[in-house]
Amino acid sequence: MTGARNAAAPAVEFHDVTVAYGRRPVLWNIDLTIEAPGLFGILGPNGAGKSTLLKAALGLVPLAGGRVTLFGRPLAEVRRRIGYVPQRETVDWDFPVNVMDVVLMGTYARLGWFRRPGAAERDRARAALERVGLADLAGRQIGRLSGGQQQRVFLARALAQDADLYFLDEPMAGVDARSQERIFRVLDDLRREGRLVVVVHHDLRSAVDWFDGAALVDMRLVAAGPAAAVLTQENLRRTYAGHIDVLDELGRAVERGGRTA
Amino acid sequence: MAFDPSKTVLRGVLCGVLAMAWTSAAATAESDPPRVLATTTIVADLVRQVAGDRVTIDCLMGPGIDPHGYKATPRDADRLARADLVVASGLHLEGKLGKLLEKLATRTRVVEVAESLPSDRLLEVAPGLHDPHVWFDARLWSLCAPPVAEALAALDPPGAAGIRERAQNYAARLARLDDDLRGRIATIPAERRVLVTAHDAFRYFGRAYGVEVVGVQGTSTESEAGLADINRLVDLVVTRKLPAVFVETSVSDRNVQALQEGARARGRVVALGGRLYSDSLGEPGSGAETLEAVLRANVETIVAGLTGEQ
Amino acid sequence: MTAFTGIPYNTLVVAAAVAVVGCAAGVVGCFGVLRRRALAGDAASHATLAGVVAAFLVTGRRDLPTLLLGAFVAAVASLGCLVAIRRFTRTRDDAATAIVLSVSFGIGIVLLSGLSARGIPGAGGLEQFLLGHTAALTVADAITLAIVSLAVVLVVCLGLKEATLVSFDPAFAAATGWPVLLIDYALVALVAAMVVVGLPAAGAVLVTALVVIPPVAARQWTDRVPTMLVLAGTLGCAAAVGGVAASALVPRLATGPTIVLVAALLFAVSFFVAPERGWFARRLRHER
Repeated sequence: MTGARNAAAPAVEFHDVTVAYGRRPVLWNIDLTIEAPGLFGILGPNGAGKSTLLKAALGLVPLAGGRVTLFGRPLAEVRRRIGYVPQRETVDWDFPVNVMDVVLMGTYARLGWFRRPGAAERDRARAALERVGLADLAGRQIGRLSGGQQQRVFLARALAQDADLYFLDEPMAGVDARSQERIFRVLDDLRREGRLVVVVHHDLRSAVDWFDGAALVDMRLVAAGPAAAVLTQENLRRTYAGHIDVLDELGRAVERGGRTA
Repeated sequence: MAFDPSKTVLRGVLCGVLAMAWTSAAATAESDPPRVLATTTIVADLVRQVAGDRVTIDCLMGPGIDPHGYKATPRDADRLARADLVVASGLHLEGKLGKLLEKLATRTRVVEVAESLPSDRLLEVAPGLHDPHVWFDARLWSLCAPPVAEALAALDPPGAAGIRERAQNYAARLARLDDDLRGRIATIPAERRVLVTAHDAFRYFGRAYGVEVVGVQGTSTESEAGLADINRLVDLVVTRKLPAVFVETSVSDRNVQALQEGARARGRVVALGGRLYSDSLGEPGSGAETLEAVLRANVETIVAGLTGEQ
Repeated sequence: MTAFTGIPYNTLVVAAAVAVVGCAAGVVGCFGVLRRRALAGDAASHATLAGVVAAFLVTGRRDLPTLLLGAFVAAVASLGCLVAIRRFTRTRDDAATAIVLSVSFGIGIVLLSGLSARGIPGAGGLEQFLLGHTAALTVADAITLAIVSLAVVLVVCLGLKEATLVSFDPAFAAATGWPVLLIDYALVALVAAMVVVGLPAAGAVLVTALVVIPPVAARQWTDRVPTMLVLAGTLGCAAAVGGVAASALVPRLATGPTIVLVAALLFAVSFFVAPERGWFARRLRHER
């Protein structure tokens, strides 16, 4: 479990959340509580609704039923405390902005309407770039970055938001192993600073190593709780039924056991 | 063969019925005057002057409509097809009706009055293309009366003599009008006899009555004026010290406004001399419902505008 | 002014008006191009004809501000239809744009020919909105166009970071609390306004060129949004003034279409000559 339960409201609470695209249900009766601080993974097969779960928390998709509270409050009241790293495909990488421009976007919400980012915002952006190791690429146009670098730019942007709760959508997809390590290290630091990082993840192998809490989703919530308790053979089979090719890998991963430290 | 009285009676009755039907049909034709459809109000006026009340005359385009850009609706095509005679101005004045009139000519009688004029009396716009605004030269327009008279006479043989006489009278009236107009124009000082209008409709007028004519747009209103053209006109207006420029009833006066502003910037106030009838006659009740009235009105407007104070 | 420079008055008025319009159209057009919604401007411009004719029918007035107001209403309505079609049906972007464009243009043509067929006095000259009547712009026209253009540029400069954010990553913008839909509509309204303002300069059929070509040309030269805006504005202004100059020197050359041709020329030059993204630059890189 991720540390003692504190008296304050849990960081993320999904109450009976149902999301449908048209008539097709994507998420069904999700009841999930995630406490801060922590590094929490949301896993499941493709098309299981993992991204949708994130988007539901962020108000990016309408809820067909249920509600989500963050820090015990509705989203609108706590937006300032939420950071978001969307999937890389959502963006046109040919857009004429450089790394610094993108990271600065993380500071916009705090600035409000019509005010320009100033020295303070630039400093925050530079600090964020340092943390992800991209400080010397600040002037590069984003289309000329590698996949891993692009992901780190998005991460830096979220860091510039200085949020208490971070949602990341498949941050490791299409990223080389070294960049993945670097990204994980940043997320781990965030956890150490007392924040909650919720990550939609696709790779079960690393999930067992990295996350302290996890949820298995396949339209319904199959299991949620400490990573080791959730990522059992039984649960994985129930979630990935039909995805037979994955099962062997799962077995090996589970046998290797939980995280160190 | 025996003589059969019933058959004879039957034949006689049949003949009688047929004869009655034929005469009554002829009588109906008598009482239903031929339908003539004219394209523009100017052509309609010509037909009316020549035909008197022997035919019913209808006009396709009402007063104030620009014939250069007029596109026929299906209803118009219907009206054209049902007419006994179609009279058009010709020389591509009704630019967008060309194909329609061509196809119509195979089924109905179509007369394009300006086409019958001798080509040496016409002004060329481009090789093979002539300026269609021929009605502004009264004497030239009077040459269009005979072809109309012939077409009407073919439609209405009993009235042919009257039609031809009216045509001759009209031609004579136009000739007298021509002299009058010439006299009126002569009252304008020679150096001021320049007519600046929205489009090049008055070239025949200019040639006939001794006035220099310049239009902002070209011979057709479909063309757009360029800056060079407007600048050239401002130059003309200022250097020749023209007191007035003129707008037309069926053409936008936007270009003329720009002209006035340009002249004003060079210290020359150019008045709007008045509205001239160019491609159409006036509304009913305006006093300008016939070509003669229009020509007189135009000349008065021009004379008043150009003899105005400096 | 004329005496000072020797340039005819009409040319100066038209050049000034068209320079401001060209600049503003270039600036606003950047966001349409960056969001891959360039053709929406075309749908809006084709709808303006119906708006102009309807304004005349409803008010009986022919002064420029009235007609442009009608044009603006029509432009916004057409863009609204476009958004609605995208949202509520399964029609794709390009098909939806084509539908809105052709239907609204058809309405405009029907209204216009209906007017001319009825011989309603004063109807002549509305057709000029199809191809523009640049050469005949008066000082009053020029002032109207300039005021709206400047207002539009001001709004874009003020909301530059909001517009860039929403254009680049609307999901992130929404997640961080920005009213994405509102900003989206605001950008759409700005494009509509510029399309309308460009009508007297280039006409309904060609005004899209003013809103699309300068931004695309500018994109060839830079990788930053603020620079792109400045460049697009400059190129738009240059195209406008160039077109006016050409039309003033050559007789019987319609001014509106000439402006569009100059803009196209500037794009062609940008395409080949720009450093980094230009055709020659890329060929040279390949050969190294």
